[in-house]
Amino acid sequence: MDDLLAEFVAESREMLETLGGEIVAWEADPGDRARLDSIFRFVHTVKGNCGFFDLPRLQALSHAAEDALADVRAGRRAADAALVSAVLAVIDRIGDMVEAIDAGRDFPGDGDEGLIRALEPDAETAEELALPALAETLSHQRPAAAQRSVRLPVELLDRVMSGVSDMVLARNDLARRLRETPTDAAIEGQFERLSAIIAEVRDAMTRTRMQRIETLFIALPRLVRDLSAELGKQVLVDIEGGDVELDREMIETIRDPLTHIIRNAIDHGIETPAQRRAVGKREIGLLTLAARQSGNQIMIDVVDDGRGIDGQRLVDKAVAAGLIDAAEGARMPERERCGLIFEAGLSTAEAVTAISGRGVGMDVVRANIERVGGAVELDSTPGQGTRLTIRVPLTLSIIPALTVGLGGQRFAIPRSAVEEIVHAGEDGIELSRLATVTLARIRDRRLPCLALGEVLCSGSAADIAASRLIVLRLAGGNLFALAVDELHDHEELVVKPIAPAVMAIGLYAGTTLTDDGNPILLLDVAGIARAGGLSFDAQERASRLAEPGADTVLPGDKVLLFVGLDGRRRAVRMAAVGRIDEVGPGALQFGAGGPQAVVDDRLLSLAGVESPPGVSDIVRLFRLTDGAREIAYALREVIDIRTLDGEVLPAAAPGEIEGVTLIDGEPAEVIDAHWLFARIASEPAARQPVCRLATDDPWLHTFLRPLAEAAGYRVVTEPGEADIAIGMEDDAPAETGAGAVIRLRTTREEAAGAPDSVYRYDREGLAAAFAAARRRIAS
Amino acid sequence: MTGLLLVVAIAGRRVALPASEVHSVIELDAPSPIPRAPAHVAGLSALRSRVLTVVDCRASLELAPEPGAPAVRPKAAVVEFEGHLYALLVDAVEDVAEARSDCLPLRTALGRGWDRVALGMVESDAGPLLLVGVAGLIAGPGDPCIKAA
Repeated sequence: MDDLLAEFVAESREMLETLGGEIVAWEADPGDRARLDSIFRFVHTVKGNCGFFDLPRLQALSHAAEDALADVRAGRRAADAALVSAVLAVIDRIGDMVEAIDAGRDFPGDGDEGLIRALEPDAETAEELALPALAETLSHQRPAAAQRSVRLPVELLDRVMSGVSDMVLARNDLARRLRETPTDAAIEGQFERLSAIIAEVRDAMTRTRMQRIETLFIALPRLVRDLSAELGKQVLVDIEGGDVELDREMIETIRDPLTHIIRNAIDHGIETPAQRRAVGKREIGLLTLAARQSGNQIMIDVVDDGRGIDGQRLVDKAVAAGLIDAAEGARMPERERCGLIFEAGLSTAEAVTAISGRGVGMDVVRANIERVGGAVELDSTPGQGTRLTIRVPLTLSIIPALTVGLGGQRFAIPRSAVEEIVHAGEDGIELSRLATVTLARIRDRRLPCLALGEVLCSGSAADIAASRLIVLRLAGGNLFALAVDELHDHEELVVKPIAPAVMAIGLYAGTTLTDDGNPILLLDVAGIARAGGLSFDAQERASRLAEPGADTVLPGDKVLLFVGLDGRRRAVRMAAVGRIDEVGPGALQFGAGGPQAVVDDRLLSLAGVESPPGVSDIVRLFRLTDGAREIAYALREVIDIRTLDGEVLPAAAPGEIEGVTLIDGEPAEVIDAHWLFARIASEPAARQPVCRLATDDPWLHTFLRPLAEAAGYRVVTEPGEADIAIGMEDDAPAETGAGAVIRLRTTREEAAGAPDSVYRYDREGLAAAFAAARRRIAS
Repeated sequence: MTGLLLVVAIAGRRVALPASEVHSVIELDAPSPIPRAPAHVAGLSALRSRVLTVVDCRASLELAPEPGAPAVRPKAAVVEFEGHLYALLVDAVEDVAEARSDCLPLRTALGRGWDRVALGMVESDAGPLLLVGVAGLIAGPGDPCIKAA
């Protein structure tokens, strides 16, 4: 508490100092609104702070001044000379009291009532005249202010901190050089001493940036009290771990998210006393805030004993908002349902209330926490309450990282992104290469897998099967596996920004020096996923579908059991199922090339349907994927995910149906995905438009190719027939046999001036060109 | 313009860098490569606990690499540009000379790369020299907008 009091004294003193000029100016012109406001703010702040300390006199004074000034602000009262004098006397008295608190003295006298009376509209002049005398008697008691603390600009601290970081690196460098050359023992001894001193300075400097998390918690009891009073609820706050220290900047970063979480907990979580009584809980809700340090992370728990999160309602809202479809929602495990609260545009409040309905959602909360390398976790039990855990690193500039090796070179990966590390050769890990995509099955999760060597084009030919797989989590919660040659170490790295030319590559987030003085690059996990061409929408949902229910550990293939459009029960192996979509009947085409469906602006071959359905029907489709290509399959409804444990009786002839099996005692036809894909593959090539890339330019292949493939094109490089040909600038194809030509330009200006030209990052422009070429084929 | 010039050789041509922009001249160990970096960014190196981005001036000028084996410890001029330290790899560091004239406009075209980085001609103790801008060398051939600046 002493620290807080000192903080209060320092803050009040500082405000008084800056207020000095304002007071004089206000005295000269009592009508000056801006001055009035700043003086009002001061007494208001003092009043607020007094609430936390047991300072009734100070509170009474500031409260009275606040009331009087509020009247003036509201126009109920004119700021006459008497009022100005009275307010000034109160402010002087506050200043004196603050000094007394700082010096640990009791403040003498009891003139407070007189000062407060003087603030009243009909105060007598006699009181006013008595004030200067009072002030005079006090002034000689004021001791020379004891300077116990200094306020410093944070930038200065940052500069010193960065100097200290450099010093540490220089020390490390020197240490390495000393190790390499035979050195005098005396020098080594001195170096050791220097080393120890630097470590201590660094420690101390780090601490100067640290603040007790109490400074963040101190305002919360008041917030909770006000909120619960407003909502007619009763909430008890329990705060633990206020002495945990955290980087100042980090405290500022989590202030708003934490406030928001608490608002949510009181508004949505804790029930009204009547509701609580009805379910047999104590009338008073309990909100626990607990901070603790765990390694170099700070965990802050916000736990309420309210009604918990209604996962079903979140799912309904998400379906209504078009974020997921109903079938997907029905299959989501409870934990994931609650996780929907972090999706943009969802709020569980029945009505937008003044408390939580401020246009800031939990998605913003999460984004803010993740921006500083933290994470938010949610755990909710319906009827029992909700626990929200915020995890943030201690400081911003030192990042815990995992260093990995690739072809002799080292890279760092932020540890906050690392989910799990496995050896590709372990049991339960299965790698399958499907066309251009490698999938890793880690236990029951199927994840796209990238080889770091391939992403970085470093020519490392190491076999992926012998490598280490690091499961990485992207900001959106999507997972992917990254194969690296070797693992080195967990290290705390002082990360520095990298030059713009390197930043622009989009694969690196910073650089750092290791103890041996070598620069290593910090990988940008999201950039790696992008460069690897991962498209997460389908992948992630597929992996979710592939996750088994909590209680099923049966052997055998997982199948999706559904009812076909013709009313038959069918089953398809989950591994091949991408996602489930709903489309309108207009999205289906029954042309010469067989049935097709337009899903997400892509044309997919459609199976499971022979003739056009009724005009008004919404058609459900699931997508089958072999990793490279997708086809759609129409169905009436999804039944469930089951395990294929019975025998499959093969069909008489190869075809769409592989055979029949018994699921839940009823027959179901098992779909032969291989046959379906084989049929699609044997379709004439004209069905899939062809895009030719004019050169081997890596940009074309890394950046453009995925775009072309996503637009449904087959990408080729060899000369020949193509529906669209794309080249860079001058090497653009002098076109033969291509339906359309696009020349990519480096700048928008160049693109505007030349025919068939598109600025190379003009996504819409490229998409339009692809679509136009398609239309030409279709017509 | 007055002041000192650092005379260096890039691809056999003697050129001048404004000495005020050069922190130091160092011999560089092999830099750590940066996969998928632009051709003129040769990698990262460290100088007194600061990270240097190594710029290969020949590549920045879109010139062929030096024939023969690369120098074991090539010379580099260390410059600070927009808050980042760069090591500009040059063939040789020859001299420091005093500028004797203002920077005069170039009357001839020197070729694509050179035109992009050249600021002009300057008379000096060591004869007339081509004054080269640090910004252009660092930017490399990728961004055509730099020359205008």
